[in-house]
Amino acid sequence: MPSSALFSAAIEQAINRLLSLDSDSKARLSRLNGMRLYLFIDPLPNAICLVFSTQVDVLTEYDDHSDVVAKLDDKSCCIQTRVSTLPSLKDTNQLTRLIQQGELTVDGALSVAQQVSGLFQHLDIDIEEIIATNTTDVFAHSLVSAAKTLSEKARTGSEMVSRVLGNALVEEKQLAAHRLAVMHFSDNVNALRDDTARLEARLNHLESTRSKS
Amino acid sequence: MSDPQSTHSNDTSTTHFGFKQVEKNQKASLVAEVFDSVAAKYDVMNDLMSMGVHRLWKRYTIDCAGVRPGNQVLDIAGGTGDLTAKFSRLVGSTGKVTLADINLSMLKVGRDKLRDRGLVGNIDYVQADAEALPFPDNTFDVVTMAFGLRNVTEKQNALDSVYRVLKPGGRLLVLEFSKPTSEQLSKLYDMYSFHILPKMGQLVANDAESYQYLAESIRMHPDQDTLKGMFEKAGFDQCDYQNLTGGIVALHRGFKF
Repeated sequence: MPSSALFSAAIEQAINRLLSLDSDSKARLSRLNGMRLYLFIDPLPNAICLVFSTQVDVLTEYDDHSDVVAKLDDKSCCIQTRVSTLPSLKDTNQLTRLIQQGELTVDGALSVAQQVSGLFQHLDIDIEEIIATNTTDVFAHSLVSAAKTLSEKARTGSEMVSRVLGNALVEEKQLAAHRLAVMHFSDNVNALRDDTARLEARLNHLESTRSKS
Repeated sequence: MSDPQSTHSNDTSTTHFGFKQVEKNQKASLVAEVFDSVAAKYDVMNDLMSMGVHRLWKRYTIDCAGVRPGNQVLDIAGGTGDLTAKFSRLVGSTGKVTLADINLSMLKVGRDKLRDRGLVGNIDYVQADAEALPFPDNTFDVVTMAFGLRNVTEKQNALDSVYRVLKPGGRLLVLEFSKPTSEQLSKLYDMYSFHILPKMGQLVANDAESYQYLAESIRMHPDQDTLKGMFEKAGFDQCDYQNLTGGIVALHRGFKF
């Protein structure tokens, strides 16, 4: 049994579930009706194709990138990237840099990719309301408040542990160098590199002068 | 052309109905009885019998169908419309999907299910015999048949008929139970289908006989290579098949050029 079918089914289920949690996503989804977005994500073995209609259908694409690009029309777009690059795609200001660096390839209608990005970026999910539909308002509010408090405590706790551990390693046990010491060392390395480069250039110059005479 | 599974004895044309031999003209009505009986619980039983894996087999078939917006798709023996639902969204408003089934009960269940899901506008429902499809030549871009071919009396006639209605460049995909590729799996599968399956049918659909027929009809269906040969005989090019779940199911594909 092809595991790719299981993978695409799981993605499809997750996307549609996520969209169903925001009632405004229907309007954004309707603007994408009839459009297709092909995603080649290294190292996934097969590409996936998102087909937009009243819902998002996820298909496994068995054609090569060049074959997919050849069949693109004005309602479809193909993106080729790496898993590690995906988080950077959130920041639209980074796109040009990623394309120039070869981390991202976009073929076809760019507007499709932009609209798909908008579909997910504008998701506004009210978790408290979702919990309240299956429980009670009071319970939902208490649960979400408790979760927020817990998350805040975890964040401050993590910051404190990191600070204490840093102090212990740098100041008390002196197992790691201080940040300023590292910066100073880096500056020295840079200065040494520059000196070496200058020396090399000078030697080259002397060598060329000598060979001419 | 005749079905390799059918036989001729004493001038009477017979064919298999499960493990029984019946007259050819009786098979369609016997199969119809089976599906009339199971139509209401068909989806539940499919999920139960395959533990949901039939959804993945069908999904893989859809992936391999390569359906594009504007395509004309024929889903033969489409039953309760699992494939048609997805095809309807894939072809969009400019395309059309025709859900064809010889059995009116199944067709009604499928139609109600799809309409309840809001899938209207680009789906036609046709009660049709796969052996004599009521469509003009060169009509469809893609034809699919999921778990239907083994119930057809003259399988070769059905493949010939599909070839006729396909457009040049079109493709046929047949998803059907087949022969497991490993001996151990085959034994396990036999035990499951002859001992557990009829009991499940009895418990859930109150109909052990229909599920006994299901198990028997699977064993009588041509194996992977025989079916591939039948595709080629019908005129299909680039015929191949893919075994799924160790050959319990196989997806055959052929093109008309």
